[in-house]
Amino acid sequence: GPGILTRTLLNAGVRVVALESNSAFLPNLQSLENSLDGQLKVIYGDFFRLDPLVSGTVKPPAMCSDKLFETMGVAAVPWRADVPVKIFGILPQRKERNTLWRLLFALYECSSIYRYGRVELNIFISEKEYKVLTAKPGETRAYQALTVLWQIGCEIQLLHMEPWSSFVTNLKNGGLAVPKSTWLPNDHLCLVRLTPQQNLFIGGLKPTNSATFIFMVKQCLAKPRSRLTDRLNSWSLDNTGKLLRELEIPKNAESRHLYPEDYRRLFEALQNSNVFSETWFHDEVLESIRNINL
Amino acid sequence: YNIVMRNWARKGQLQRINRLFSMLESVGLWPSLDSYAAALECMGRNQSSAKAIRRCVQQLKNDGFHVDELFQKCLFEEDEKEKVLRAIRIVQPNYQLPPPPNPQTCKSSLLWDFYSKKKMVSYPKLDFSVQELQECFQQQLEMELDNTITIESVESTKPLTPQAIKARELLATLRSQWHDSILQALQKSKQSMSKLKMVSGYNILYPYLCLLPDEEYVGIMLQILNTLSPQGESLAVLARELGSKVYNRYITQRKLRSRQLEKVQEVYEDYIHLLAKDSQPNKYLPREYWEKLVAEAGFGPSLNLKDCSWPYMLLMRLGMHMLELMVQSVKVPRNILNPRLEPRLIPILYHIYSFRSSWQVGLIKPHPIFSQIMSDAAETLLTFNSSAIPMLCPPVPWTSPHFGAFVLNDTKLMRFVDGAIQHQLLLEQCPPVNLHPVLDALNQLGNCAWKINQPVLDIIISIFNDKGNEKLDIPPPISEAPRPSAAPSNSSTWNKSQKHELLLCKKKTAEMHSLRMDALYKLSIANYLRDKVFWFPHNMDFRGRTYPCPPYFNHLGNDVTRAILLFAEGRPLGPKGLDWLKIHLINLTGLKKKNALEERLEYANEIMEEILDSADHPLTGRKWWMNTDEPWQALACCMEIAKASRSPDPAAYISHFPVHQDGSCNGLQHYAALGRDLIGAISVNLMPCNVPQDVYSAVAQQVEEFRKKDAEQGVKIAQVLQGFISRKVVKQTVMTVVYGVTRYGGRLQMEKRLKEIDEFPEEYLWEASHYLVKQVFNGIKEMFSATRDIQNWLTESAKLIAQSGRTVEWVTPLGLPIVQPYYRSRPTVVSSWKPDTVKQKNAFPPNFIHSLDSTHMMLTALHCFRQGLTFVSVHDCYWTHALTVDIMNQICRQQFVALHSEKILQDLSKFMLEKYCRAPMLICFPSGSSSPGRETRALWQKKLMEQLSNVPKTGEFNLKKVMDSTYFFS
Repeated sequence: GPGILTRTLLNAGVRVVALESNSAFLPNLQSLENSLDGQLKVIYGDFFRLDPLVSGTVKPPAMCSDKLFETMGVAAVPWRADVPVKIFGILPQRKERNTLWRLLFALYECSSIYRYGRVELNIFISEKEYKVLTAKPGETRAYQALTVLWQIGCEIQLLHMEPWSSFVTNLKNGGLAVPKSTWLPNDHLCLVRLTPQQNLFIGGLKPTNSATFIFMVKQCLAKPRSRLTDRLNSWSLDNTGKLLRELEIPKNAESRHLYPEDYRRLFEALQNSNVFSETWFHDEVLESIRNINL
Repeated sequence: YNIVMRNWARKGQLQRINRLFSMLESVGLWPSLDSYAAALECMGRNQSSAKAIRRCVQQLKNDGFHVDELFQKCLFEEDEKEKVLRAIRIVQPNYQLPPPPNPQTCKSSLLWDFYSKKKMVSYPKLDFSVQELQECFQQQLEMELDNTITIESVESTKPLTPQAIKARELLATLRSQWHDSILQALQKSKQSMSKLKMVSGYNILYPYLCLLPDEEYVGIMLQILNTLSPQGESLAVLARELGSKVYNRYITQRKLRSRQLEKVQEVYEDYIHLLAKDSQPNKYLPREYWEKLVAEAGFGPSLNLKDCSWPYMLLMRLGMHMLELMVQSVKVPRNILNPRLEPRLIPILYHIYSFRSSWQVGLIKPHPIFSQIMSDAAETLLTFNSSAIPMLCPPVPWTSPHFGAFVLNDTKLMRFVDGAIQHQLLLEQCPPVNLHPVLDALNQLGNCAWKINQPVLDIIISIFNDKGNEKLDIPPPISEAPRPSAAPSNSSTWNKSQKHELLLCKKKTAEMHSLRMDALYKLSIANYLRDKVFWFPHNMDFRGRTYPCPPYFNHLGNDVTRAILLFAEGRPLGPKGLDWLKIHLINLTGLKKKNALEERLEYANEIMEEILDSADHPLTGRKWWMNTDEPWQALACCMEIAKASRSPDPAAYISHFPVHQDGSCNGLQHYAALGRDLIGAISVNLMPCNVPQDVYSAVAQQVEEFRKKDAEQGVKIAQVLQGFISRKVVKQTVMTVVYGVTRYGGRLQMEKRLKEIDEFPEEYLWEASHYLVKQVFNGIKEMFSATRDIQNWLTESAKLIAQSGRTVEWVTPLGLPIVQPYYRSRPTVVSSWKPDTVKQKNAFPPNFIHSLDSTHMMLTALHCFRQGLTFVSVHDCYWTHALTVDIMNQICRQQFVALHSEKILQDLSKFMLEKYCRAPMLICFPSGSSSPGRETRALWQKKLMEQLSNVPKTGEFNLKKVMDSTYFFS
């Protein structure tokens, strides 16, 4: 856009690389770039079209993350190392949820931006998605697969809340292009910091098997009120009762009652049983990632 | 209340009925005619006193009814009618049944001729005796009474492997176990339901689980298990299928019990005298004759059943319940294929969810162990619903929206979109006489007898049972599916490209499976029918487009299925028949599209040697037929030409071969005729020309002109596109413009076409497709100016109507009432139908055009029958014998001219003004805005009225020219 966020960051004294997807705004930003002594780098590109799924050549403003990081001069660091780069941005409202899912897959797979380490996101998201990200077990409608996966994957901090009314839009009727929300409050735009957990990949969870974990959580929470035992039984698990006892999960627990950590422990326990390798499970996992990850 | 009353009446419990009458009163309802019928029936059964009956009859009259109405309007089952009559005769010993209403005749000006008694001709006879047709009917009836039919698949000729024998034995054992466990689960669930005294939502299913013997429910569930594909199926689809299977059996049972079937049987036996060759000629239409016979039969049950359809939600719930029983009870030992594992029962069906952007779909999938056993067993018996098989006797003629087609299977006159019932109500409210033309046309199409082209079928089966052939559209077996090159056993170590390859293989296998099964069904049904004569009963969609009811094998199918169908009736070729066969062959090849008919014929004669070689050595010769657009139909045609040309007198050769005549871009033809667009009319062959005109080339040319101009003015993308604009690039978009393709969809089509051109620079794809779609739209606007106006008028009118909270309705020139079945959300329990404004608006122009093309087809069908022609259609492609192509062509043109000589748009405008501007409006304003005041309402009313009255102006094309246009349909 016109560069308000960029200028604020520059004034704070940090080095900034700005991604601009609209060529109309480029000339202004470029003159700003030239007036500064290397503190700002402007790139024609769209952060939300990084590493597009379609095969074939990537046309700007879509771009590849390796190109971007090369241009920025940021090298990959090990997962447990410090945050290599911080990203600021506003999630486009229209595809907010999609973007959150895509980032999540990249995070769990250590691909795209997360190939370079624990990249920190500082993003504006709508209040309703914030509520989902930070929901607690049992909260009807808010507690979803997205909740569990983000909470396992990242530390989530709320930095700031700004009412929608502070924003001007160019819609004809002067209204805001804010998607309606029936069940969750949606009066603010929330600045949220998402820092990947340092210990995400200790224990049984690995970038190579994380797709199974995601699949498991999504299947469980597709029907939040269904009983976990029913789910596990239909996955032909050997001894559901024993497994749940060992995990200290009540026999009649519903999917929506499990804490994110419970899902992680459940996954690790199932890894040790034969559910994932011997049943149809891994075929289904492959099927499920067809649309999102390849 | 009436349902309960009827059942008490059957038991002779008058007291109970009286109590129900007082209950009616206490809740402020009035008894209806049916209530009185029940009461009187009960009195007739009990031989009640004259006093009581008199009192009842008096009350009936006080409520404004008449005794005669009981017999004119009520539907009766079993002996109900007799009992009511007996009661009436107790008080009026001389009472006579009211005479049946005089048959009414359709007044449509388009069919004045057709229905005029003076010109009535005798109905054409089939090549069957009464005796033979009766036997056919018996066969059909037995098949339908069984509800399903099991036939040998065409794969059964393959030798059986030891593995298959083992797997089949295993499967047999498993099935008997499954049968027992499903039965047990069903009985347990019924028991627990019956105990529930509370009226909970679930309990409503209980009565529906008691309609049939338990064994039948189990049979239905096992049948579903056999047909489940390895990829699984959506929960909703399976539930609906299970629910409707139960419903169908229930209907069969009811028809048996109410003695409806008995009466149908009786009437049908007389009815076939109209069709059989050894009976007196009769100047009746099938529908008229049937109605006459029913009226003569007088007593007994009505042919329509009373309130017997189940709501959509009920079907779904019943199906869901049965599905859940299966998921819970059908199990298999886990170690059945791999003895190393410890034995344990695992379910063979599981729930899984598939996620599509923002919504999720529930699926039921079979366990891979089950799929493996099924595929090892390679069973060769296929079980179909009896309604999936073409009929073995002439269909029961349609006489009302509820009655016709199959003997027992419930068939709807109009197909419907899940749960929508509005069109059904509309048909019921419509005066029966208005439906006569449509019913008669459907009967006409359904009365065409078919047989199998055996030599072609044999060749196809031989390829199918070998390795298939993708180029010839014979799907290869799964054993031919690609396998991933080398995959390490541990899937977690796979890299991206290995996963990708595996996924592609799986996707391909899944596609191959469904194509293979589809072909297997079609060919197996054809094979089952190979020595029989059969019929396709027809019904229609909500726009009046007609379809054969049996879903798999019918003449609407692909090249392969069409190639194995022949008319059962043979006709001599006549003087021009052989030429028509040859022209038809060239049409099938896709060659010589731009040449005149004489040139096509000449070409056929030039390549006669190739044609004969194809006919004589289809698989071993030079295989000319294989490189044509429609290879199998071309082969069948080659064989027919060979036989005809070798017969001593080709003109006397008896041919069963259907010859097709296609409308050239039929949607645009109707638009051009509606708008009388001169240039447009020429380009879609409404004007006589020496050679066929090609609208796609014409548009391509127009676009090219635009491009040149732009290129000269320095438009970059126009310069890039130099040399890339062709007929092929624009064809799909032009074709679909008629059907309401948007700029968005059009651009995607363009992008696809441009991608196919290797030399086209990829980086310009988006911009070029964007530019092209704009120019194509402009080109069409230029050539079909009135057309675009009409399209816009239709769209704009539909928009205003939908915004006022109503659905778009109209009536075709043949009198068929139409309502667009698009609603915002599917009703769940409480039905609230709000029109889907966007769909109502965007779909109106194409639907309107489709309603016109179906009208044209029906008119042609009816008039062809008057001339004694065999006629069937695939929408805008008309079929007849080679002998009668010329007559059919003439009728087709006459009817097109007649149809468009009607004031179609003015009539539409008048109808809509009457419908939408008379009644006060209920406007659905976008939510958020305040409710409209009286002024805004008046403003809307005025706007709608102006829009509807403002019928677009038309051009000066002289419609009569169509009569002489050779390439209008060719």
